[in-house]
Amino acid sequence: MTNAVTGAETSNVQIVSEDDVVRVQDLKLNFYTALGVVRALNGVSFNIPRGKVLGVVGESGCGKSQTGLSIMQLTTGRIEGGSILFREFNTGEAIDITRLEKNGPEMRHIRGNNISMIFQEPMTSLNPCYTVGNQIEEAILLHQTQDKAEARKRAVDILQKVGMPNPERIADSYPHQLSGGMRQRAMIAMALSCTPTLLIADEPTTALDVTTEAQILDLMRDLQNEIGTSIMFITHNMGVVAQMCDEVAVMYLGRIIERATIDDIFYDPKHPYTISLLRSIPRLGVARGEKLESIKGTVPDPYSTVTGCPFHPRCPAAIPGLCDAVMPDETFVAGSRTHTVRCHLYT
Amino acid sequence: METARKNGKSDDILLEVKGLKKHFPIQSGFLRRVTGYVKAVDGIDFYIKKGETLGLVGESGCGKSTTGRTILRLLDPTAGEIVFDDPNIGKVDLAKLKRSQLKQVRPNMQIIFQDPFSSLNPRLTVGQIVGEPLAIQGVASGQALKDRVAELLQEVGIRPENMTRYPHAFSGGQRQRIGIARALALNPKLIVCDEPVSALDVSIQAQVLNLLEDLQSKYDLTYLFVAHDLSVVEHISDRVAVMYVGYIVEMADTDSLYYHPKHPYTEALLAAIPKPDPRRRTRPVKLPGDVPSPANPPSGCYFHPRCRYAKDICKAERPPLRDIGNEHWVACHFAEELQLQGVTRLSEIPVIELPRRQAPAPAPTAATPA
Ligand SMILES: Nc1ncnc2c1ncn2[C@@H]1O[C@H](COP(=O)(O)OP(=O)(O)OP(=O)(O)O)[C@@H](O)[C@H]1O
Ligand SMILES: Nc1ncnc2c1ncn2[C@@H]1O[C@H](COP(=O)(O)OP(=O)(O)O)[C@@H](O)[C@H]1O
Ligand code: SF4
Ligand code: SF4
Ligand SMILES: [Mg+2]
Ligand SMILES: [Mg+2]
Repeated sequence: MTNAVTGAETSNVQIVSEDDVVRVQDLKLNFYTALGVVRALNGVSFNIPRGKVLGVVGESGCGKSQTGLSIMQLTTGRIEGGSILFREFNTGEAIDITRLEKNGPEMRHIRGNNISMIFQEPMTSLNPCYTVGNQIEEAILLHQTQDKAEARKRAVDILQKVGMPNPERIADSYPHQLSGGMRQRAMIAMALSCTPTLLIADEPTTALDVTTEAQILDLMRDLQNEIGTSIMFITHNMGVVAQMCDEVAVMYLGRIIERATIDDIFYDPKHPYTISLLRSIPRLGVARGEKLESIKGTVPDPYSTVTGCPFHPRCPAAIPGLCDAVMPDETFVAGSRTHTVRCHLYT
Repeated sequence: METARKNGKSDDILLEVKGLKKHFPIQSGFLRRVTGYVKAVDGIDFYIKKGETLGLVGESGCGKSTTGRTILRLLDPTAGEIVFDDPNIGKVDLAKLKRSQLKQVRPNMQIIFQDPFSSLNPRLTVGQIVGEPLAIQGVASGQALKDRVAELLQEVGIRPENMTRYPHAFSGGQRQRIGIARALALNPKLIVCDEPVSALDVSIQAQVLNLLEDLQSKYDLTYLFVAHDLSVVEHISDRVAVMYVGYIVEMADTDSLYYHPKHPYTEALLAAIPKPDPRRRTRPVKLPGDVPSPANPPSGCYFHPRCRYAKDICKAERPPLRDIGNEHWVACHFAEELQLQGVTRLSEIPVIELPRRQAPAPAPTAATPA
C-alpha cells in the first residue's frame, strides 16, 4: 500500500484512510534515566481520519499520554524512530512532526492553530497568575484576531459553550478560584478556542463527576460535528469509550495490541488483554454479589524487558514455548480490513 | 430518626447518625474574622447495619469525605449524634466522647483513603506502616507484632518478605492493599472506605474490590463505601445513600435506588453514567447550572434551581428525609408522585469468552484466575 500523503511505503497491516488527519507510523520513544532506559513506545502506528474519534485505552503507564505528547512535541523523552504525519485539511499539506524543531516557529504554529491538547492535570496548562479570560484571549489574539474586544467576546462565548454558568464572571476569575470541574472546563475552552483540526484529549473527564463528564462529552461531540475536528480520546473508562469513540486502539506496554471499530471492540474483541479488560468492569445490574473478574498480576515495571508477547505473564491463554519467546506480529483479523490484533492465537 | 428503629431491629444497627453537621468556618481579613461557614455536612441522618456495605455517592465537594471523617471523629462534628454499637462497651455517642475516651472505641473503626500514593508515610517501611496501629494501641510488640504484620500482609496478597521495603517500591494497587492491611490490623468492625479504588486501573480495581468483599465476609466487616463511580458502588453496596450539598437526599437498598429512584437528583446522576455499550448511546438531559456552593446554598430544597420537577413549595421549604416505605428514604416533596427513570441493566452486552488454543482445558474457563 502506498501512503497517500507522502508516497512512502507503509506496512500492509496498518489501517490508513484517504482523509487521515494524522498518521503515526512505527513511533519509538525512549527515556534515558538514572535507573536505565524506559522504552515508553515500541513502534506505535495508527491513523485518525478527519472528524473521527479514536479512543486510546490501556492501563496506566502503557504509553497513552506519551503518544499524545509526542504528537504535540511536548514529550520529554527522545523520539528515536518512526514518523508522525500531520495533514492540515484546509491546505492539504502534510508535515512530519518528528522532523520539526520542538520549539521552532512551525511547531508553535501547529500547537496554536491546528492541534490542541487537553491535559490530564488541568493546573499544568493554566497559569495561576492570569485570569481564565486573559489566558483564552491571549491564545485568540496570538492566532486568530488582533482585535481585543473581539477576542474578549470570543473568550466569553467559548466559556459559555463549555457550560460555565456565568461566563463573564468566570472569565475574570483566577484558576484557583474555580472548582476542579470548572478548571477542567476552562482548560477545554482554551483548547477549543483555536478550533483545532486535531484535539488530543488526555483523560479529560477522569477527575470529573458523571454529570460534568456528560456535559464535556456533549461539547466534544458538537465540536466534532460542527467543525469536523478529529479527536484522539485517551481514557481508561470503557463506558466513555463506548459513548464517544468511532474506533479504538488498545495499548499495552508501549504497543497497540488491538485496533478495531467501536462495535468490534465491544462485541467481537480478539486480544486476551482486551477481553479481560472488558470482563473486569462492573456492569450495572449484572452479577452483583459475584466476584468481578480481574487480570492477574500487574503491568511489569517500565525498566524491565519481557521476552515474547509482553502480555504473556498475565495471559490466561498463553501458549508455552511460543508466547514467552516470540513477539507476535500485528495482523488483520481474518476477513477484516479494519480490525488488527497482535497475538499468536490469530496467526 | 425513629423509623430506623421501627423498621430494622435496633441491634442490627452498627452505626446510626442523626442530624450530623460539620461546618467549617470561613475566615477572612487581617484579623481572620469568621465571615461565614462552609456547610460541608448539614444535618444528615443515616444508619449502617451490621455486616452490610452502605455506598455513599454524590458529586465532588458534596461532603462525602467530610462525613466519613467526622463519624470517625477525625474531624469534630458541629452538631448531631454518631451512635456506634461498640462490641465491648455497647452503644456510645461518639460525638460526645472526649478525645481520651475515644481511644477505647478507635480500634473498631478504621479508614482506607483514596490516594494510594500519598496516604502511606514514605519514610516508614511496609512493616512499620501496617504494625503502627498495633504498636500504638500496645496490642503487640516484638516477634508477636512481626508475626501479626506478616499475617496481615498475607491476608491482602502481599508477600511478607516485602515488610522491609518502602511504599515507593509498590504499585498503586499494592499500596492500596497495604492501606487495607493497616486498616485491618486491630480487627475493626467498621471500615470507612473513602474512594478506595478511584485511583486504580480497571483490572487492579477489580482485584481490590474482590479483596474487600472477601475480607468482609471473612471478618464480618461493615463498610461505609464512598465513591463517585456509580457502577462500582452498585456492584459492592447493599444499600446506597445519595448526597447533595451536604445533605442526604435519598437512601435505599441498591436495587430500589438504581432501578426505581425516587429523587430527581438521583435520576439525573444515574442518567449521566456512561454505559459501556456502543450500541446504546445516550445523551442525557443536561442538568442546568452548577452544584451550589456549600457556603451559600439555595433556599428550600437545595436542588430546586436545577430540578426540572420543581414547584413553588420547593423554593420555600426544605424537604425532610422521610421513609416512603420499605426503608426507602427520600428528601423530596413529590417523592410519591414523580415517575422517575432508573438505569437499565447491562446484561445484553456479550461477555466474550477468553480464547484458548491449547488442548481442551481441564477446568471450566469461565473465570479468569485472580
Ligand atoms: N478543612 C476544610 N476547611 C474548609 N472547607 C472544607 C474543609 N474540608 C472540606 N471542606 C469543604 O467541604 C465541602 C465537602 O468536602 P468533602 O471533602 O467532604 O467533599 P467530597 O464529597 O468528599 O468530595 P470529593 O468527591 O471531591 O472527594 C467542600 O465544599 C469542601 O471544599
Ligand atoms: N519523565 C519520564 N521519565 C521516565 N519515564 C517516563 C517519563 N514519563 C513517562 N515515562 C514512562 O513512559 C511510559 C508511558 O507513560 P505514559 O504515556 O504517561 O502512560 P499512560 O498515559 O498510558 O498512563 C511509562 O512506563 C512511564 O513510566
Ligand atoms: S500472544 Fe500469547 S501471551 Fe500474548 S496475548 Fe496472545 S495468547 Fe496471550
Ligand atoms: S423537592 Fe422539589 S426541587 Fe427538590 S427534588 Fe423534589 S421536586 Fe425537585
Ligand atoms: Mg496518562
Ligand atoms: Mg472526598
